[in-house]
Amino acid sequence: MALKENNIILPGGTTCPGCSGPTIHRIIYNVLGQNVIQFGGGGCGGGSPRTVPLYSLHHSGVASGATGIVKALEAQGRTNITVIAMAGDGGASNTSFGKLSAAALRNDNMIFFTLDNEAYMNTGVQKSDLTPYNAWTRTTPMGKSTKKMDLPMIMNYHYVPYVATVTPAFHMDMVRKIRKAKEIKGFKYIHVLEPCPTGWRSDPSKSIELSRLAVQTGIWPLYEIENGDFKISYKPREFKPVAEYLKPQRRFRHLDEDSIQEIQQLHKDDWERLLRKDGTNIW
Amino acid sequence: MGTYKILDGNDAAAHGVALSRPDVMAIFPITPNTTLINGLAEMHAKGEIQCENVTVENEHSALSIVAGAAAAGARTFTASASQGVVHMEEVLWMIPGSRLPLVMVICNRSISNPGSLQCSHSDSLLQRDNGWLQLYCETSQEVLDTTIQSYKIAEDKRVLLPIHVCLDGYVLSANASPVDMPEQEEVDEFLPKYKPDHFYLDPTMKPDMAPGSPSYRGLETELRYQIEEAQERAKTVITEVNADFAKKFGRSYGNGLVEEYRTEDAKGVLITMGSMTGTARVVVDQMREEGKPIGLVKLRSFRPFPTEDLKEIGKRVEAIGFVDRNFSHGGASGGAIGAIETSRALYHLDERPPLIGFVAGIGGRDVTYDDFRYMANKVLKTAETKKVEKEVEWIQLMR
Repeated sequence: MALKENNIILPGGTTCPGCSGPTIHRIIYNVLGQNVIQFGGGGCGGGSPRTVPLYSLHHSGVASGATGIVKALEAQGRTNITVIAMAGDGGASNTSFGKLSAAALRNDNMIFFTLDNEAYMNTGVQKSDLTPYNAWTRTTPMGKSTKKMDLPMIMNYHYVPYVATVTPAFHMDMVRKIRKAKEIKGFKYIHVLEPCPTGWRSDPSKSIELSRLAVQTGIWPLYEIENGDFKISYKPREFKPVAEYLKPQRRFRHLDEDSIQEIQQLHKDDWERLLRKDGTNIW
Repeated sequence: MGTYKILDGNDAAAHGVALSRPDVMAIFPITPNTTLINGLAEMHAKGEIQCENVTVENEHSALSIVAGAAAAGARTFTASASQGVVHMEEVLWMIPGSRLPLVMVICNRSISNPGSLQCSHSDSLLQRDNGWLQLYCETSQEVLDTTIQSYKIAEDKRVLLPIHVCLDGYVLSANASPVDMPEQEEVDEFLPKYKPDHFYLDPTMKPDMAPGSPSYRGLETELRYQIEEAQERAKTVITEVNADFAKKFGRSYGNGLVEEYRTEDAKGVLITMGSMTGTARVVVDQMREEGKPIGLVKLRSFRPFPTEDLKEIGKRVEAIGFVDRNFSHGGASGGAIGAIETSRALYHLDERPPLIGFVAGIGGRDVTYDDFRYMANKVLKTAETKKVEKEVEWIQLMR
């Protein structure tokens, strides 16, 4: 499973210090290689030049533009090229949500990556529907009052052949899932948790640690769903307390002990629901 | 010679698309273009159009899909009207900037509220500033011919801009007339396969070639100016394509940009766009019989705007009336868009004729023989008196 760096992502990126976006892009491209056409930049974390062709309209048309490319390639017989669409969490859950849904329902042959840093970070940290419960953003200064939208599960119920959750600290898990997606025909959805020191108000040197803690605390469960077969990818023997994930992020600094316990309970419940599904077909 | 078919405007557009052999279509229904969409879907199902057909969830997506497809080197088609065009607005602005030669039919319809399912030109004229070319059609035959011509115009290397083929909702889209059908082989000769070499998405391309790549940032002024230059060159290309089409198929539409009808020795002319031109021709004939020196100019190309042609006509006549099937609320002199543009075109003539704006046909209201007779008489009276009583007149107001 060893990966060779292929230098598709070029120097000269415009991301903030500590952004996990370039790491995520490097992993994706180390797996997929050069024979790719990308549509949509993937939010602000995608601000690196690359050697593969990238076309973009706006954050509001991400899956559709990729569908157009897929259809053109089919019409031209250039079907050995992998088409990927990339959106940030705002694009995927809000502005392009209808497009994402429709492309999935048509089972258009692409891999759709959501690079989820949990708010509109490029515009300076405003709430998206993938912002977690009780997180501070500029537009939720008292904390967001509703839960994070369960987008991977929503995409699963579009009955697409492949859905997976990943995050870069679990590097080989991410590599394996992207490799698998590349081999499947139809619509593949991969949701990447993308730590963002600027918006999460965390230490720029701790992005990968937070990525790891998100999984180890049960905040970001890793799973995959192949034609409805649900499988948890990583089951920690014992979860770390969510406080270990929340406390290094100043977007959660307003949380008192009760609020932290509430989040702890939410994730315990969510995890138990996932465990009940594990190993079953959920379609 | 080909065979004749009885086609309404929508069917004519569908046949025009089929004959142009697109690679990718994205289709979504909206009144009054629904029968165009149904027709394309049926032709696709029967194998009469062999392309990828995407049935989309809304118009914004339809245009995003054909944009992506065109960026990957495909010849594409989509269509919309009214609210659908407005819903596309965001994407409509991006396509000229990417120099993608899309062809899109706009089946003209009012925009709500207050709105109508019937024709006004507000939906397409709203797109007059963003770089798209626009041709307006009078008959089903012209719709079919213009659809085929549009691919050739848009894909010309001197142009590389997207184009709207505009046809009046219902009046043209749903009224049938005989259409001389070109043979597929003839169309193939006239319109070769689309082979983009300015850019298309391919993993072997140079990474800085795609519009939107970082090397293009900060150059909007230059890129927009290039679109302006391409619009100017499009005048030549539209004229050439119209002439080539005439050679091949025996039909032409004026010089491609404007069509003059009985303007020789005319004292006054009316300028029209779209289907109402047919009614105006009849009234001009009647009034000429009566010895009244009225002429007619059909404005076929609104973008690029045929400034030189209108200047040349302006030098010859003593009064002009522009019949606008649109409005520009609060615009100059209460004017509608055609009159505003025309006055700019004529402004620097040494002796410019008086210009009257007429607003008519809004929301599909019929523009009748009587309406044209009224407008023509106003223009002729103005030609005599040199005095404009009212700069813009909404002639069909119910009071």
